[in-house]
Amino acid sequence: MATMKFLCDTKRCIECNGCVTACKNENDSALEWGIQRRRVVTINDGQPGEASISVACMHCTDAPCQAVCPANCFYKTEDGLTLHNKDTCIGCGYCLYACPFGAPQFPKKGAFGSRGKMDKCTFCAGGPEENHSDAERQKYGSNRIAEGKLPMCAELCATKSLLAGDAEIISSIYRERVAYRGSKNAIWG
Amino acid sequence: MNNWFKQIGLTLVLMFSAIGLAQAGSSQGAEQPVATDGQIWSQLKAGATGVTTSHGEFHNQPINTYDLRVLELRSDLLAPALTAALFGMIIIFVLFIKVNGISKLHGGFSGKLVYRWSKFDVSIHWLGAIPCLLLILTGLTLLAGRFFFQPYIGEGLWAGFVYAAKQVHDFMAIPFMLGWALMTTLWAKNQLPKMYDLKWMMVVGGYINFGPFKGKHPDAGFANAGEKLWFWAFAVFGLVISASGMLLLFPNLFEPSRTLSLIALVLHSVSAIIITAFSIVHIFMATVMSEGGMECMVSGYCDETWASQHHNLWFDEIKENGTLKYKD
Repeated sequence: MATMKFLCDTKRCIECNGCVTACKNENDSALEWGIQRRRVVTINDGQPGEASISVACMHCTDAPCQAVCPANCFYKTEDGLTLHNKDTCIGCGYCLYACPFGAPQFPKKGAFGSRGKMDKCTFCAGGPEENHSDAERQKYGSNRIAEGKLPMCAELCATKSLLAGDAEIISSIYRERVAYRGSKNAIWG
Repeated sequence: MNNWFKQIGLTLVLMFSAIGLAQAGSSQGAEQPVATDGQIWSQLKAGATGVTTSHGEFHNQPINTYDLRVLELRSDLLAPALTAALFGMIIIFVLFIKVNGISKLHGGFSGKLVYRWSKFDVSIHWLGAIPCLLLILTGLTLLAGRFFFQPYIGEGLWAGFVYAAKQVHDFMAIPFMLGWALMTTLWAKNQLPKMYDLKWMMVVGGYINFGPFKGKHPDAGFANAGEKLWFWAFAVFGLVISASGMLLLFPNLFEPSRTLSLIALVLHSVSAIIITAFSIVHIFMATVMSEGGMECMVSGYCDETWASQHHNLWFDEIKENGTLKYKD
C-alpha cells in the first residue's frame, strides 16, 4: 500500500498560485463560496529569506483532526489519505482548531457554532460516496485517485515544486534534487 | 587630437577600475547573507506568518504549533473521566445506598411545611438544572460518544444523534448560564463557610449509618457544608465552563486563536467532569438519600422535622427572629 503525501520544494515554488487555481477548478462542484482548499503562503515577502510554500491538508498519518472530531467523521484510506464524511460532520470546528496547517475550512462562521459542513483537500480522492457518483462530485469534488491519477495541483505545478505521490517516491525525487544542488543552503529547512 | 582622447580614456578606465577594486575589497570578508540560510523550517515551525491571496481563516500561517499532548489528554483521560463521573458515580451511589441505607426522618414527617425557598428561587434552580442535565448528557456524547456509543450503532443513526447532541448543547448553554449567574449571585450569602462546617465534614454530614458515624447530627445552617462545597464548586467551575463555552459558541464574536480554542476545550471538559460528579451526588442526595429533601425544590417548603434534623441552626434562627413561615 502506498502512503500518499504532498511535498513542496520551497526552492522551486515561485508563488504563481497555479496549484490554487488548479485545485479550485478541479473541485469546483464541491466548493462553497469562499472556500479555498489550497493556498500559497510567502514568508519574509520582499525581504532576504523570502520563501513561498503551497499549503493544504497534509494527510497526516496521525491526524489531529481525526483525534479531536466529536462525530468521528474522519477516516484513513488504504492510500494513507485522511478523508472525511460530510454527512456525519456536525460543523463544530474542532478540526480547524487542531489542524496545524489550517486545512479544514467552513462555509460560515456564525453564532452557536453554525459553521456548516467542513471542507478540505481530499488529495483529489473524493469521499466515502461511490466513486464518480453525483453525490461525491457535489460534496467532495473530483476523484482522480480512482482513475489512477495524482492530484491536479501537483500535476499542474509548472516548476514541479509541489510533488504528490507515494512518500517514498517523492522523497527520493527530492533527495536527488538536493544532491544535485550540492549546497547546504539548497535543502528545505 | 587622437593622443588627447587616448589619455582621457586611460584616465577614465583607471578611475573606474580603481572604484571597482575598492568595492570588491570592501565586500570581501563580510559574508553575504544567503537567501534562506536553512531557516525556513524553523521559522515555519515557530509559527511564522506570511502573505497569501487566500481569505480563509488563519490562512496566512502555514503551521500552527501547539502541544500535541492535548489530543491524547482528551481521548485518553478526559473522555473516560467524564464517562466515569456520570456512570461511575451513579454505580457508586447505588451501591452506597444498598449498603448504607438512606437518611430517614426521625419520627417521620410532621406534616407542617416550613417556608425555605421563594417561588423565584425554585424557578431559577430549574432554569439552571434542566439545561445542566441536558448539557451533561449531550456533552458526554460529544466528548466520549465516539468511544462508547458509536461502535454499537449504525453510521446514519450516529450522525443524527451526534448532530442533535451538538444542537441541544449549543442552545441549552444560554438558559444554563442565566441560571448559573442568578443562583451564584443571589444565593452566595447563605453559602459562606462557618466553623461548624468542619465538624459536619468530619462526620460526613451524619449520612453514614454505620461505625463511629452512626446517628450523628452535625450542626448546619441554611446550607450544610456539603451543599456549600457544591455551591462553590458550581460557582467556580460554572464560570470556567461558561467562559470557555462562550469562546467556542461565538467564534464570530471573540475570534479566539486555534490554540486558545483547544485550551478552552480542555478547561471546558475538566469543569464538566467536576460539575457532573457533583451533580450526580446532588441529585441522589435530594431525591433518594435525604428523605423529604426533594420537597424543597418542588414547592419551596420543607417539612419541619427535615428542617430541624438537617438544618438545625437555620431552623433555630428563623424560630428566634420570627421569620418562620408555615404553609397554610
